[in-house]
Amino acid sequence: MSDETITGPFHEFAEQSGDYYAKTFLKIQKNELPKPHINISAAIGSFIWASLRGNWFLFWIAFAIDLVTLVYLGAAYKFKTAGVDVIAQVAKLTEAGNTAAASNKTLLIERYENWTSSSVITAIVIFIVGRIFFGWLADRSYYRQYNAWRVDRTKRSGLKTNRLVMMAVILAMLAPLMIYRSTQFAPDARTCVKQERAIAKGTEVSFQDKFNCAIISDFPTLFWIDRPDKISYPRAEDGSRYIQRDAPTNKRPINLHTYTSGKIENVVGYLTAFYGYFFDGIVEVLRALLNALKAIFVGTPWPIMMGMLLAVAYFAAGIRITIFVGASFAYLALFGFWLISMETLALVAAATCVCLLAGLPLGIWVGKSALGKAIVTPILDVMQTIPSFVYLLPAVAFFGIGVVPGILATVIFAMPPMVRLTSLGIQHVPESTKEAALAFGANPRQLLTKVELPLAMPSIMAGVNQVVMMSLSMVVVAALIGAGGMGFKVTEALANADIGKGVLAGIGIALLAMMIDRVVQKANKQ
Amino acid sequence: MNDTRKVVVKANSVWKIFGDRADEAMAEVKKSNLSKAEVLEEFGCVVGVKDVSMSVREGEVFCIMGLSGSGKSTLVRHVNRLIEPTSGTININGVDVGSLNVEDLRAMRADQIGMVFQNMALLPHRTVRDNIAFSLELRNVDAFRRAQVADAVIERVTLQGYGDRYPSELSGGMQQRVGLARALAADPEILLMDEPFSALDPLIRRGLQDEFLALSKGMNKTTLFITHDLDEAIRMGSRIAIMKDGEIVQTGTPEDIVTNPADEYVADFVQGISKLKLVFAHTVMVPVAKYEKENKKLPAIKSCPQAGPEDDLDTLLTLVVDQDKPLVIMDDGKPVGVVTKDSLLHAIRGET
Repeated sequence: MSDETITGPFHEFAEQSGDYYAKTFLKIQKNELPKPHINISAAIGSFIWASLRGNWFLFWIAFAIDLVTLVYLGAAYKFKTAGVDVIAQVAKLTEAGNTAAASNKTLLIERYENWTSSSVITAIVIFIVGRIFFGWLADRSYYRQYNAWRVDRTKRSGLKTNRLVMMAVILAMLAPLMIYRSTQFAPDARTCVKQERAIAKGTEVSFQDKFNCAIISDFPTLFWIDRPDKISYPRAEDGSRYIQRDAPTNKRPINLHTYTSGKIENVVGYLTAFYGYFFDGIVEVLRALLNALKAIFVGTPWPIMMGMLLAVAYFAAGIRITIFVGASFAYLALFGFWLISMETLALVAAATCVCLLAGLPLGIWVGKSALGKAIVTPILDVMQTIPSFVYLLPAVAFFGIGVVPGILATVIFAMPPMVRLTSLGIQHVPESTKEAALAFGANPRQLLTKVELPLAMPSIMAGVNQVVMMSLSMVVVAALIGAGGMGFKVTEALANADIGKGVLAGIGIALLAMMIDRVVQKANKQ
Repeated sequence: MNDTRKVVVKANSVWKIFGDRADEAMAEVKKSNLSKAEVLEEFGCVVGVKDVSMSVREGEVFCIMGLSGSGKSTLVRHVNRLIEPTSGTININGVDVGSLNVEDLRAMRADQIGMVFQNMALLPHRTVRDNIAFSLELRNVDAFRRAQVADAVIERVTLQGYGDRYPSELSGGMQQRVGLARALAADPEILLMDEPFSALDPLIRRGLQDEFLALSKGMNKTTLFITHDLDEAIRMGSRIAIMKDGEIVQTGTPEDIVTNPADEYVADFVQGISKLKLVFAHTVMVPVAKYEKENKKLPAIKSCPQAGPEDDLDTLLTLVVDQDKPLVIMDDGKPVGVVTKDSLLHAIRGET
């Protein structure tokens, strides 16, 4: 086949300057296009070229390059005018004889001049490099458009001036506001609030200032709400609580955010004031559990505890992992983390206990009942999407600061995998096995205990493993609300910017986590 | 045939319709006799079992044969009420299964009915012995007695020495023996076998079939045996019911089915089946008088090969080979019929 028959469609596609594109596309097909090949007319015409050719992918790239250039030029203008302003101020101050203030401002002049020149340089560099890159990209991308057109002839081809209308619309919508924004210092939120109050008082505010606050600052506050009554729950003389409403002392209206957060506080306050016994009950139960576990982990003298844990590791996971555990123990003990790491283990154990006690029945319910699944699954989804820090908040709101809310936050964080994996295990018990058990006369309880739970056991154990690991990671985070343990050492080091101590505690936590993970996983496998 | 053995399992026009609107569909079907396709279109319901009546007598191996989707597994699950009929009743020894309360039903499942499944459905976390004693355990039989019973059954299915192994350590054939043993452990009156040998490879399947036949002869258990394989049905069954689209198309002895298919569907099935062991002399013979009228006189009976009326074609074939004279069928020392080579060949081709 001669080159002419091949290049025919190229001409048909390109319409204008067919010879050039036929030659270029042929080179691309033969893999002969030189690496630095640049389409000069594209590099010069930029987004106008792209829109004429109907390649909107290239259009956005060219448009972005030119827009960024213009925005930098706008910024240069902004800094230039600001600099001129400051020069005028300095002149005024020197005239008034305030030389100290004037010399302060001269520093500012220098800074503005630096910013101006660096903005101009950046603009020039982006423009030149960007245009060269665009010229390089143009023919290669245009060839892909040709390929798409070969498959579907209704796709854009040729060179049509009516596409400039579309280009003009996009340009008009985006460019002016972007460039205007670059030439202005955006007002901060406070300036805008002041401006609103001034408008409310009837002061004249220029259109430009109003525009700046509404469009180029943060999203404007659309409406203001009157401050609601202040609600508190003091005790009466007989010790019972009552609701007291006080008119607000500050009459200024507030925005939606402040209003809603106040309402939430009221609700939480109401619950803790009138149903405090419920939360206290939970606290007492958890504290008892934790104290028992602490008595075991922390109360046992270290030689016995260390020996016991090593023995557990040996029988659960074998000699190799026991050696690793022993080395980790040596690290923890030598750097003075022994007791505090045992405290962390007690916390993890307490959280794991609660997760198992609550998660297993819940998982069975989810696994066996469609209703349970419909109710619990969305809650679990939400629980797993929320970042772990957010869990600390409700815990603090209802239970205050301390170890117990720390455990509760941990439980909420670590429970989803337990529920999920239990229900998964139950659901994956083969229908035929269950049927067989029923055919031999099993009742629902026997079906659960003799068939479903044993068959779901690997999945449930995987859930336990997950719970332990997630508990450990969350217990560290929960140190922020006073859960204590190794996490406390890290938060303490953070607060004091004590890098050395932080590193030591961090390594300690990592060793603790690896140790638990290795042992639990190995034990699961056996 | 007049069978005097007592009826153990009796189904009285059992219907099963699957779907949310099964009851509506059932009422409509009874009123205006809708077809399966019409029920699916109007109610979105699937007819699983369609008006099935059958009675299975004590000690009988009753085969239910049908292709997948014909409703045979669904039907057999009605017997121990793993599936509730939409309409109709099932009686076991005169007791309506549908009327039992939950506790009685469990007792009946555990004590009276043993079931074997196509995919064995053994419990992987229990040893062979504990699997076998499962139904006893469910009935709170003590561990000592359980072990005794299990060991006895293990011996019966020749799995000695495997009691303490786990099912995963056994081959497919052995696993299905465990399944069978589990069904036998409670010494039930009825055995439900849901394609027990279908998942096994042919050699092992044959071995197990033979073993089961031998076992079942000694046990006199009423057995409902499900299969999609006509050969197996013929080997195992004293009677066969052929199901198609939820209906029983024909019930009869293997010979009935093979020699006398009720419709084209059954005939199609039977076509490829070897008749040698299924058709007997009394069906192919011509009475002596008729033979003499149509042909010539019968040669001296002493010189002819002889056979009984219950001998199968295979036996007759070996007798006629290398013989010119016709075969005489003798009953009580008297000639009752004649089989010629031609009639024998026709019979083998299924043209009686």
